[in-house]
Amino acid sequence: MAYRLTLPILILITTLTLAACAPQQGANPAGALSAASDDEPTKVVISIGYIPDIQFAPYYVGIEKGFFAERGIDLVIQHRQETDGARLLGTGEIKFAVLSGEQVLLARQQGLPLVYFFAWYQQFPVAVAAKADSGINSIEDLAGRSVGTPVKEGASYIGLEALLGAAGLTDDDIDLQTTGYAQVETLLTDRVDSVVVYVANEPVHLEAAGEEIVLLPVSDYANLVSNGLITNENVIKNEPELVRAMAEAFAESLRYATDHPDEAFEMSKKFVEGLNDPANEDIAREVLARSTELWQGERYGMSNPEAWENMQEVLLSIGLLDSPLDLEQAYTNEFVP
Amino acid sequence: MQIGLADRHRQSKAERATHAAIPWGRLLPVLTLILFLLGWEAVVRLGAYPAFILPSPARVAEKFVAVALDGTLWRHLGVTLVEVLGGLAIGVSLAVVLGYAVAKSVAIERALSPYLVASQAIPIVAIAPLLVIWFGPGLLSKVLVSALIVFFPILVNTIAGVRGVSQDLRDLMRSLQATPWQVFTKLEVPAAMPVLLAGLKVGATLSVIGAVVGEFAGSDAGLGFMINLADGQYDTARVFVGVLALIMLALSLYGAVGLLEKRALRWREAGK
Repeated sequence: MAYRLTLPILILITTLTLAACAPQQGANPAGALSAASDDEPTKVVISIGYIPDIQFAPYYVGIEKGFFAERGIDLVIQHRQETDGARLLGTGEIKFAVLSGEQVLLARQQGLPLVYFFAWYQQFPVAVAAKADSGINSIEDLAGRSVGTPVKEGASYIGLEALLGAAGLTDDDIDLQTTGYAQVETLLTDRVDSVVVYVANEPVHLEAAGEEIVLLPVSDYANLVSNGLITNENVIKNEPELVRAMAEAFAESLRYATDHPDEAFEMSKKFVEGLNDPANEDIAREVLARSTELWQGERYGMSNPEAWENMQEVLLSIGLLDSPLDLEQAYTNEFVP
Repeated sequence: MQIGLADRHRQSKAERATHAAIPWGRLLPVLTLILFLLGWEAVVRLGAYPAFILPSPARVAEKFVAVALDGTLWRHLGVTLVEVLGGLAIGVSLAVVLGYAVAKSVAIERALSPYLVASQAIPIVAIAPLLVIWFGPGLLSKVLVSALIVFFPILVNTIAGVRGVSQDLRDLMRSLQATPWQVFTKLEVPAAMPVLLAGLKVGATLSVIGAVVGEFAGSDAGLGFMINLADGQYDTARVFVGVLALIMLALSLYGAVGLLEKRALRWREAGK
């Protein structure tokens, strides 16, 4: 009889022992730049969502041209789900991530101490696309029509909500459907009247498929904070020079990728499988060109307070934020070169 | 050595005495659960894990009650249940029919076996997005994913069950000039039922996984959708609620098949 209790007690002892050995929350080992010798760049992981793609050309350029290394950073890119990257950053497991701005607010609501320190995209990259002959030429035309969104969360959905809000519409005024990340196929097969897309991505594929489309960019109607470089409060407090170095290196990478698109494309081939395939080259170059347009602004890296206010307003209106946050804690322009 | 009636009486009395001495044995699973929850709480507190990494059992319970009370949990559970039942209906039907055909015909077995085995090798996670593209983001694609994942275990068990029928019994039926329909209904179905129902238990739990994978690929309702949405909002407690609901759904289906098994196989107990 006694033996039946042995296993649960053993599990409990094991659990308590493991818990006692767990690393302290938010532990921050010695600053990355000082951990290695002065001659060796220090390995710094940055989490990026999605998969290796030509849209991340500035990072590849920065690594290949040595813009990070000359500032003591051996940048290592890890691709994973955006939210997983945010969680790892929130616990201090990694020091940097690339996230869309609304993720910072959603994360901070749940206690993740994330801080947005470099605005990569100066324009919100989401739009609604429809076939040219669909009769959809404005946001108001979406009323009563079907709109496919990949998921009901993230930048795509939030961008759609901002777009609808600009015309005084809500989800109830449209036939909102979830398509998964198959917007191109869904629109081409007429399963929906319109789809939410990334301006620099799906429209290129639709046009390459011979489809004439109408694009309703969110940025034409609302100024919202978009993709940027994120760190956490601990890193800012304990390693501000690392954050500054990241911002400077990325600004230089961004500038170089913008001014040398062909070279940026060639450098990206090392990081993105499939770019070597001539069948993909034209589309990929067009994606890079359209992405580059979204990165341009008055000054690389500057966050616009109005964009943050607008984003918070959208999140509050659709119930993703319970109450307003202190936006001054969510972003900073302190490290923008 | 023959066991007499007196020995049997003494045995059952001894067994009854043993059971009476350990009535609390039924509480052991509850005790285990309590210990597990205490261990979980200890891990959270001692490790100082924030809620977005590992919420405490109390936080999960609180979230569970909130989501249950506002109806969200039942709405999503209902959608997933429909997908699961649809997947089971299609998957089981196809598998039983094909399994019987394969078991009875060497030619059909040779023609279909490689492809049936290949169907098991299909990575569901990879094919689910394709099914959403081909069949749309509605109910059908999720039902098909669920059916796909259920198909192979039921197929294998059907084949094993039908082939496991004793040749002596088949010879007996033949000697009694039983028709093929009588052989099927009076011999093959009852004889194959234990193995088939064992496969159905496995299939029932797998069907839940299939439905959730389908929802992850593209949906706007269901427990998988609820988990995805919660993950997107860093609401890990709500993710746990979704997982808990899925576990409860899978266990309920498993139990339902168990009851069906008990009822369908009553004849085995009666014969003892």
